[in-house]
Amino acid sequence: MAGGPAANRIRKAIALVNSVADEAGDEEVTPTEIAEAIRDCLELSEVDEVPNVRRYLGEALDAVSDGMPADFVAMTLYAALGALREGGQN
Amino acid sequence: MKSAEGRGRTLDEAVDAALIELQESRRNVDVKILSETPEETLVEVTVIDQNAPTPDTMPAPANGKAEAAKSLVEGLLKHMGVRAQVSVRTGSDPITLDISGRDLGALIGWRGETLRALQAVTNVMVGKHLAEGERVIVDVERYRQRREHTVREIAMRAARQVKMTGDAITLDAMQPFERRAIHLALEGDPDVTSSSIGEEPERRVVVGPRKPAGE
Repeated sequence: MAGGPAANRIRKAIALVNSVADEAGDEEVTPTEIAEAIRDCLELSEVDEVPNVRRYLGEALDAVSDGMPADFVAMTLYAALGALREGGQN
Repeated sequence: MKSAEGRGRTLDEAVDAALIELQESRRNVDVKILSETPEETLVEVTVIDQNAPTPDTMPAPANGKAEAAKSLVEGLLKHMGVRAQVSVRTGSDPITLDISGRDLGALIGWRGETLRALQAVTNVMVGKHLAEGERVIVDVERYRQRREHTVREIAMRAARQVKMTGDAITLDAMQPFERRAIHLALEGDPDVTSSSIGEEPERRVVVGPRKPAGE
């Protein structure tokens, strides 16, 4: 498990998106909150140290702005997390 | 589906009595509390169909969407180099795909993270076949189903403790589908109530006594 600050922030963003997709029914998550969580990830310099992480996060942010389905946003965030993990192994 | 009733002084005793009758282990069953008094607990224990019929043994109902999803996931697994069987869980709503095979732990990942990612990708791929709001659930080696059963048992234990002590209990942080399973398990209980506190991914369910109306 990748455990740096960026990975943790991406996981938080994923958890927010999943709570929309999975509908636990006990909270209301707005697109603004998800966008904020993704912007929090983009603020870290760590995302520039590994190729493609910033690009995937940017795509996820665009997907939220464009009102894309939660699963699409989640998939893009998982791609960012995966890239970060692979980068961390190199 | 095989089921049996069990009685005992405690929940554990009642479940054990039913398990003995069914000759099953606890991980293979679903437990429903029928009645509970300080003296006796009555439960209904149902065996989960671990060998759910695969398309090879029993065709799934004619469902184009499910078959499309199954075929896409099979293709995805092939590209991933994972040897596994995909089957459509019969009688499930929403559409649920079961992936089974050997050594699929990597497909589940840390706290089910990889499984959840697989489900997200699957829903994006089959999105055009689905109606708005419709989703496909992906399960690997019944991990998700087992987790739901586990958290339901945790919910029942918490509810019993809340009834005995009158104090609220905060459970560990859980994923949305786990929290939903707890809310659903306790919604019919007249004595306890469940709510959630905290922010993702540390959001936790609190089980507490239900206050009488008007209080």
